[in-house]
Amino acid sequence: MSGSLLFQSLVLGVLLGGLNALLAAGLTLYFGVMRVVMIAHSAFLILAAYLAWYFNQQTGLDPLLSLFVTVPLFFVVGIGMQRLLITRLRPATLTMMSVLLTFAIALFIEGMIGFVWSGTQRRIQLPYSGSNIEFFGARIAVVKLIAFGLAAVSLALLYVILKKSRFGQALRATIQHPEAAKLVGVKTDRIAGLGFGLGLATAAVGGTALSLDATIYPSLHWHWIGPLMAIIVVGGLGSIPGTAIAAMVLGIGQSLLQVEIGTTWAQTLFYVALFGTLMLRPQGFFGGRLAQRF
Amino acid sequence: MFKLSRRGLGLAATLSASALVLTACSGDSGGGGSDDKIVIGISLPLTGDFSEPGKGVQRGYEVWAEMINDDGGLLGREVELKILDDQSNADRVVQDYEALIAQEQVDLVFGPFSTRLVVPSARVASEYGMLFVEPAGAATEVFEQGFENLFYAAPAIADDHYNHLAEHILALPEGERPQTVAVAAMDDPFAQGTAYGLRDQLAEAGLDIVVDEVYPPNTTDFSSIAAKINDSDADVVIGGTQYQDAVNLIVALQQLDYHPQLAAFSTAPTNPEFPQAIGSQTEGILSPTGYTPDASYPSNVAFVETYTEIHGNPPSEDEANAFTTGQVVAAAVEAVGCAEQGDCQQQLIDWLRENEVETVVGPLSWDAEGRPQSAHLIQQYVDGEIKIVLPADAAEAEFVFPKPAW
Repeated sequence: MSGSLLFQSLVLGVLLGGLNALLAAGLTLYFGVMRVVMIAHSAFLILAAYLAWYFNQQTGLDPLLSLFVTVPLFFVVGIGMQRLLITRLRPATLTMMSVLLTFAIALFIEGMIGFVWSGTQRRIQLPYSGSNIEFFGARIAVVKLIAFGLAAVSLALLYVILKKSRFGQALRATIQHPEAAKLVGVKTDRIAGLGFGLGLATAAVGGTALSLDATIYPSLHWHWIGPLMAIIVVGGLGSIPGTAIAAMVLGIGQSLLQVEIGTTWAQTLFYVALFGTLMLRPQGFFGGRLAQRF
Repeated sequence: MFKLSRRGLGLAATLSASALVLTACSGDSGGGGSDDKIVIGISLPLTGDFSEPGKGVQRGYEVWAEMINDDGGLLGREVELKILDDQSNADRVVQDYEALIAQEQVDLVFGPFSTRLVVPSARVASEYGMLFVEPAGAATEVFEQGFENLFYAAPAIADDHYNHLAEHILALPEGERPQTVAVAAMDDPFAQGTAYGLRDQLAEAGLDIVVDEVYPPNTTDFSSIAAKINDSDADVVIGGTQYQDAVNLIVALQQLDYHPQLAAFSTAPTNPEFPQAIGSQTEGILSPTGYTPDASYPSNVAFVETYTEIHGNPPSEDEANAFTTGQVVAAAVEAVGCAEQGDCQQQLIDWLRENEVETVVGPLSWDAEGRPQSAHLIQQYVDGEIKIVLPADAAEAEFVFPKPAW
């Protein structure tokens, strides 16, 4: 591998890692707060991507503007989903049954997208989709940079909310010890609902970021859910910083491996990492204190 | 329990009895050739995985039948199509052709859609000694089964799609000829077949293959492959692609400011969605295609006109290949002068082995395994529109080389 190719791949890996971190953030939040395995997360990503595409198609405006609609919409849908569906599952079988329930939701969303917009593959045509800027000899696509920026801002915001706000404290208390949180007066049910809404709001941002530089079709979400699950397990379930680090490490790893050993093998990296994590350190590698519980 | 299952049994018996009666009735009124119609049996994937192209093939067959009946029929007899739905299922397609040939006693059969269904149904047709012309099934494996009755009704199998382009590149004067080639192909027999056909011809002529990548069908991120191609600075990039991977790869290459002298991708560029996805940056992109409604073959002009009248839009490749199937069989029937099961089928097969047929995709002839002996047309985006550029005698526009920056 030549030096310039190595550097270019590294840059691409960092960009990919950033996007992966954003896409996986919601997933780790649901699991941390509610022990819910949310298979439909990637379906919501694709739904957000379709909404961004449809918005652009109808208005001709930049798809990023659709965030003003989709983020609040997804937040409300998330709260609704948690209050109406997830809370009805019995706590003893919550994790397992949540897989089945959200699997059904994923199928429903996929079917609905296909019904409304057909199975035709779509792509948002942006005037700057092929543009790039030079960065020490490497090329950075403008759309990838925007997606990375969105990821950085949303993750930072998410981190600040969790660390600094009262809601964040209550959410973290609910994550760490729901019974104790309830005893000291935290309304854990309400907090869990808001947490789910927050997770789905990240899906709106992630899906829109994805739509800038991807060809989308209804069943695309199945390609994402596996790697995203791997990222949150490696990062330590429930930990946002852990997820971000794992996403970055795996993104860079995949990017470098693709050049060296080819795409087919590089794709197995996520599953090798998942397997290794479950064997060696089931609580995840970068989770820190929060994840120690699993 | 016992009572229930007996009731179930009774119901099943009634149902199958009535089904038998029904088939018997339809057999009397429709088939057999007793009323001097030529009945053609077809099974198509009208539901299931391949239903979209399956319905396209159905439209093609029906327009063919309509046109030939308006023209006085085959051998002066009216043509009737008997189309069954195999639900994209390889077991069903076998049952369907068994039923059509043995019970319905159809005079002729046409092939279904997709390699997966063509191979099992060709086997049935072969057991009954029937001529089997098929509109879909370009993968190499179709022609490696030893069928002696099979003919593929399209210009070329996957490996030959780029033949005109290879010829043109190799005919360029030494100084202008590209030197290095980058190949990226999906792990899929059709997509790889197209790319490797061109790759191997160029490699044989001494061009350097500097990148040769394979990616799984579910790949969504093409930036690393693009980075590798960009780093090699290859003169030519060949994509063995379907739709979404071609679009993603092209955009990833553009994002790296890679500008090859020649860029060829299978399938995607001929898709009407393609320019919408890529935008104004399609200039110079090449693609092989088996069919264009603009081709000036006399039968094509009539076909496009009638088809557009009926359906409101011009036919695409699936419809055209189905229509071609009809033309090929019709040519054999008219030449030999018969259309029924038995000895006649072998005469039809023998005639097709030795003769060339004029069709909507140009003149077709076949080798001993049923491979068509032509090549695909090469199309290129010229001034924002996709036009035929090769071969020279069919060209609508000048071949642009080297490709302008995208």
